[in-house]
Amino acid sequence: MTPPLDLSRRQFLTASSLAAGAALLAGCAPGSAIGDSTQTLQFWHLLSGGDGVTMSSLLDGVNGAQGAYRIRPTVLAWGTPYYTKLAMAGAGGRAPDVAIMHATRVNGWAPGGLLDDWDLDRLADLGVDKSTFPAPIWEKGFVGDRLFSVALDAHPFVMMFNTDVCDAAGVLDTDGRLRETSSPEEFVDQLRAVSGSAEGHALSYGYLGDGAQMWRLFYGLYAQHGLAMELPLGGKAVIDKDAAVESLTFMQSLLDGEIAAAQNDYGSAIAEFATGKSGMLFTGVWELRTMQNAGIPFDAAMIPTLYGTPAVYADSHSFVLPHQANADETKRELTYQFVADVLKGSFGWAEAGHIPAFLPVTESPEYAELIPQANYAEAAEHVVYDPSAWFTGSGSSVQEDFGAAVQGVLLSGDDPAAAIDRFEARVNTILTQPNPADPEGTWKP
Amino acid sequence: MTTSATASGAATRTIVTGSAASAVPARRAGSRNREQLISWAFLAPFLIAFALFLVWPIVHGIYLSFTDQSLTGAGGSFVGFANYGEALTDPVMWQSMWNTVWFTLLSTVPLVVIALLMAALVDRGLPGQWLWRLSFFMPYLLASTVISQIWVWIFNPQIGAANNILKALGLEPLAWLQNPDTNMLSIVIATVWWTVGFNFLLYLAAMQNIPPQQYEAASLDGAGPWRQFWSITLPQLGPATVLILILQILASLKLFDQAYQMLGGVASDTTRSIVQYIYEAGFVNYRFGYSAAISYVFFALIVIIGVAQALVSRRRKEL
Amino acid sequence: MSTATLSHTQAITAPGARRRRRPHLPGQKPFGLLRVTAFVVLALLAIGWLLPFLWAIATAFKTETDAASGDPSWIGATGPTVEAFTAILSQGNVYTWAFNSLWTSAAITLITLAISALAAYAFSRMDFTGRKWLFVVVIASIIVPPQVLIIPLFYQMLTFNMIDTHWGLILPQVVAPAMVFILKRFFDAIPIELEDAARVDGASRFRIFWSIVLPLSRPILASVAIFVFIGAWNNFLWPFLVINDTTLMTLPVGLQTVISAYGVQYAQVMAQAVLAALPLIIVFIIFQKQIVKGVATSGFGGQ
Repeated sequence: MTPPLDLSRRQFLTASSLAAGAALLAGCAPGSAIGDSTQTLQFWHLLSGGDGVTMSSLLDGVNGAQGAYRIRPTVLAWGTPYYTKLAMAGAGGRAPDVAIMHATRVNGWAPGGLLDDWDLDRLADLGVDKSTFPAPIWEKGFVGDRLFSVALDAHPFVMMFNTDVCDAAGVLDTDGRLRETSSPEEFVDQLRAVSGSAEGHALSYGYLGDGAQMWRLFYGLYAQHGLAMELPLGGKAVIDKDAAVESLTFMQSLLDGEIAAAQNDYGSAIAEFATGKSGMLFTGVWELRTMQNAGIPFDAAMIPTLYGTPAVYADSHSFVLPHQANADETKRELTYQFVADVLKGSFGWAEAGHIPAFLPVTESPEYAELIPQANYAEAAEHVVYDPSAWFTGSGSSVQEDFGAAVQGVLLSGDDPAAAIDRFEARVNTILTQPNPADPEGTWKP
Repeated sequence: MTTSATASGAATRTIVTGSAASAVPARRAGSRNREQLISWAFLAPFLIAFALFLVWPIVHGIYLSFTDQSLTGAGGSFVGFANYGEALTDPVMWQSMWNTVWFTLLSTVPLVVIALLMAALVDRGLPGQWLWRLSFFMPYLLASTVISQIWVWIFNPQIGAANNILKALGLEPLAWLQNPDTNMLSIVIATVWWTVGFNFLLYLAAMQNIPPQQYEAASLDGAGPWRQFWSITLPQLGPATVLILILQILASLKLFDQAYQMLGGVASDTTRSIVQYIYEAGFVNYRFGYSAAISYVFFALIVIIGVAQALVSRRRKEL
Repeated sequence: MSTATLSHTQAITAPGARRRRRPHLPGQKPFGLLRVTAFVVLALLAIGWLLPFLWAIATAFKTETDAASGDPSWIGATGPTVEAFTAILSQGNVYTWAFNSLWTSAAITLITLAISALAAYAFSRMDFTGRKWLFVVVIASIIVPPQVLIIPLFYQMLTFNMIDTHWGLILPQVVAPAMVFILKRFFDAIPIELEDAARVDGASRFRIFWSIVLPLSRPILASVAIFVFIGAWNNFLWPFLVINDTTLMTLPVGLQTVISAYGVQYAQVMAQAVLAALPLIIVFIIFQKQIVKGVATSGFGGQ
């Protein structure tokens, strides 16, 4: 027998008292002191950074304005991890009461029974119906005849520019707006002028390790050719190779280390622009708050139309009802109320840079006075969503696949045509597969 | 060696101290049934859990691998060997398998060599034993999430310590975790830091079991410390090295935690391990049936390696 | 399945050998050049090994601005502060997760210990049909990697409606055939006379198990308990899959899944990581001897 590995009395006592102490501490954790009748609604979203701050204050406002319910938000990491967790929660039947999803992801999910649909009548009773949304945004929420998502906003991918730097470079017109450029060469000339007066680079564009960022810029440029990718299930992807390669090559040419840093990830691009070192930034409108807080003089505009057709890549944050095995009626009722309350109070969301989907807010006089939001409000008319398929949408793996296929082009100067071919091959493989949420097509819209 | 007799006079079998044989006293026939019942009572809790949470999932998993079951509850019809066929021709599956093997190769060498170096140094009996043990072994007790977050911070391309060091040395900063050329290497570095302490302890124990008389005799013969290490220490570390290698390889093949976490849940084609692909196929892409098929292909690989390991051990024992 | 497996079953300690601490190798001067070099190398290596964790701690004590600035100094320009820690602790999540980890790990440890010891005793001392082949089946199952079972186990929990429950997290982890093997080996080595004497006096099997065998097995039970606890506490994959509700998550899972609404806050992330590391570091400091011995002599804890 091996020599006894005895537990000394002292060790045992130390361990137990520590465990007891920990349990006591856990009991002292800050809990919520809410009234007995106040229902807590679990709300999941993936908004962090500038957006996260704004959403937090929006929720605080909603919580403070009434006592029937209290929203308890949880923020999960943007992208695949968020959607995976939400799907698993929906599959398990114990999902949060309400969640945010990108509008482009909904049509892939609905067939899996992971979402419950919205009751149009109940929404109408609360003042939320077709007339209160721009048509394309309202329609994007439908799968078949059923409404699965109610949009909060449209958030396009735009260009922000430092007015001081650009003014010094002489690229602003008399209104203080950026001079219009309508071809890649003109735009590059403008950028070179800016890089002369910028402390760092002319343009900040974060893309490293971020397939979504690469896709956003790419697809916007692609759509500017007047094209839309088609992804028919069971067929072949319809991609105009010339336009695609041209867009990708243009992106590659910007990352020469002079116009833009050769390798910037999302966070460092934001930081470069926010500290005033660069003249322009390609980003989503969701970073508006960050820039306002940074205190730099800036404005925003659509990314210039370089290939003929104005097009703005965008998506919408929308409210969805994750499937609940036994939905609590009271909580459901309160969830409807919550969504209506947030929509009506979404002016604050506009202040964060997004274009609210709720028309009563965007048609108000206060909204017209918001600068720089008013300067890109026209983007809402040229919105381009992801091509419709079960595997596309913000944070989808196909955006990551795109990133994997083309990062070499942007980072190491690989061949753009080969990268587009790789991406096309990948997409074609996926198209041969059924929607795994409903592999036998049994769901009826 | 002991023998004893029970009061009833029935003899008991002897036991040899230290062997794994157990003694089962012979007894009168009538109490046999009672003995059976009691045995099953003792075994029941474990067996129930074993059947429910190990045996049943294995069997059911095999069944699932022949269906197109979806995470959402849809699907579930029989599809024959389609999943297996797809798995074996799936380039991502093979890429993941290769990534896992590559990770194993990359990490095993440092995990053995560095552990050996650490143990050799600590074995010299230099002062501060508790400090060395703590430094080398403490990371092993950290949760995978903790080490992943620490190393993601260190590998941050703009403000991380790793690139700070590179810049201080006048070298180009690297996109450690974002660049497919370096991301697997980064995971290996973090893994080595995390788990070398385990191998270190195994080597240390083996070294400390070498009788000091051997060293004394050698030094009397005029052998210096290097010579002693080469001729006495190293050769006797054979069994420990084999053990460490086997443990290392089997553990590395199951790579998931840190590879998933350090890439923020989004796999690069160069870091996706086979377990991560199993996870993605099932939970990200909802294809339970397909994921089960990949699991069993992986399982087969593990069994083959495990059996090979057993044969190797037996061969060594016979030598 | 429990992640605290016995990776290898042969003890590598030679029978009867004790750990010896040699002051210095024979034929060597205590302060000779080689020895000093060895000491320097060892010290550097040890410091190098501690550095990542120390760096995490240093970052945790910086202000967010200092941390995000990329300043390589150990103390931030604004001086050390605990604001990252207070921010994390005031969010309340860490308490919840730590408590969840504590309760589920304790439950897993107790249940695993109980059922494994009972089963091991039966295999060791009792005679019943199928004893041999059943034991072989149990031992063979040690080779099954838990990762292979995640799909069918998740499906099972879905069916039983146990997703997002602590029992759904605990139960699959109490199956530890490796521990049964270790305990059986230990029980085998207890001299049978001790039990025979009690049986002569008419004690029941359970009585013998409880009053004689268990007390004698305290060392191995302690080792098993410690390693099962550590394995359960650090387990990531299964808790990550089965729990989606953030109030039910264990510490490692919560850390990974829930992010700050403010985006990446480096000092806070490090503060959270340091806090999460503390419990098991404390466990290590208290149970150092057992842990080191357990790893060294039985290969405990190889993942």
